Amino acid sequence: MAENKITVDVLTLDSVQCAACGYMMESMAAMPQEVQEIIEYKEWSIKNKTGIGKFMELKGKVLPSICIEGDIVFPSIIPQYEELIDEMIKRAKSPGLVEKLKLARDKGFQFDKVTENLKKAGAGLSTRNDS
Amino acid sequence: MAKQMLIDAYRGKRTVSAPWVPYSGVHCAFLINEKANAFLQSPELLAKGVVYTAEKYKADGIPLLFDLSVEANSVGCDLKWWEDNVPSVSSHPCSDKTPEEAGLKIPTLDSGRWPQIWQAAKIAKPKLDALDCAMMGLVCGPLTLASHLAGVRIFTDVYKHPDFAHKVLKFAGEVCEAAAKFYIDMGCDIVAIVDPVASQIRDTTFREFVTPNCQATIKAIHDAGVTSSFFICGDCTKVIDEVCSLGTHGFAIDEQLNMNFIRDKALKAGLGFGGNLKLTLSLSLGLISPREDAIVSLAAGGSHGYTFAPG
Repeated sequence: MAENKITVDVLTLDSVQCAACGYMMESMAAMPQEVQEIIEYKEWSIKNKTGIGKFMELKGKVLPSICIEGDIVFPSIIPQYEELIDEMIKRAKSPGLVEKLKLARDKGFQFDKVTENLKKAGAGLSTRNDS
Repeated sequence: MAKQMLIDAYRGKRTVSAPWVPYSGVHCAFLINEKANAFLQSPELLAKGVVYTAEKYKADGIPLLFDLSVEANSVGCDLKWWEDNVPSVSSHPCSDKTPEEAGLKIPTLDSGRWPQIWQAAKIAKPKLDALDCAMMGLVCGPLTLASHLAGVRIFTDVYKHPDFAHKVLKFAGEVCEAAAKFYIDMGCDIVAIVDPVASQIRDTTFREFVTPNCQATIKAIHDAGVTSSFFICGDCTKVIDEVCSLGTHGFAIDEQLNMNFIRDKALKAGLGFGGNLKLTLSLSLGLISPREDAIVSLAAGGSHGYTFAPG
């Protein structure tokens, strides 16, 4: 995992079909730009083998779940904005990242680039059992 | 096929055997070789797929439609369409304003895709009746609709800006009631409130925001003499007692819950309950034998208020 980025894995059934999964993904995609620059997030749908592999690797128990730096932090709970930021701060690997996250704590979700960010994260694109 | 047996089970009564409902959704499109986006926008294809699926799977009941974007779309949310899935909501008109400030109105039968759905029901209903199969109307529940309207911020607003959240949820509840009335007028035998994201919140939040905003819908269903249910997805353990005390005739859960646990909760509350064939592990991926999975569900569910269905 890169020192200058925070890795977030979102374990889902399918962020298109399942509304809860969709809003877990949106909680990452609606992070403000300054947070987008320091996080790497991806949807892992258990409709395909790669997703099942990630679910097993992270010791997932329920869907959907948000994992930060390999820890299952939000199992079947769609987080509040500040909760997400605080959990990322706890796992940030450098003081620089902590500082950037603290500065973004009062920003709140922003929706102007959600579609673009979801596309970047591959949301809904690997949710077939042959994908 | 046995519509009355299904209604009895949904109302928590004993049945000779467990009735069966496939939540077929866009799988109906696959069965008639159509793309999901075409199927969901054509009354003829929708009716054809639903009736074909009901007959093929010998269903005791089948949803006319399983698409939780209908209500949101009918009040102004944009959609992204997919060829092999339901559409996803791509804009949130209440992301920075209340429904009133955004000028949102309660939908009528002329809004969004309601005219197509009405037409599909008109074609499908007599055919489903002839098959002795219940037609089910699935309404997007208030919290899921509120998420579509305001986006993921609603899960923060319920704590940080409860006044705003209450306004969005209240409007969502009113839309939910209107949608239930549409399905009742279409002739649905069962109307279920489907609120998948309601499993992703704490029980106190459920009591404050979900329970009150389901009441008008439940009353409308019951006043019409129709059977009600509440469908919830995911790990809903933390809110299951709230689900049991909502006031519906029953509820349905997904594959993530243990059917013995659910059965005991439902029996104690005198409610119907449904589930929970493993949609992903068994039906989609085949990692668990669908036959053995079905036997486990049927054995746990029994024949007192239980409906066999995917989870």
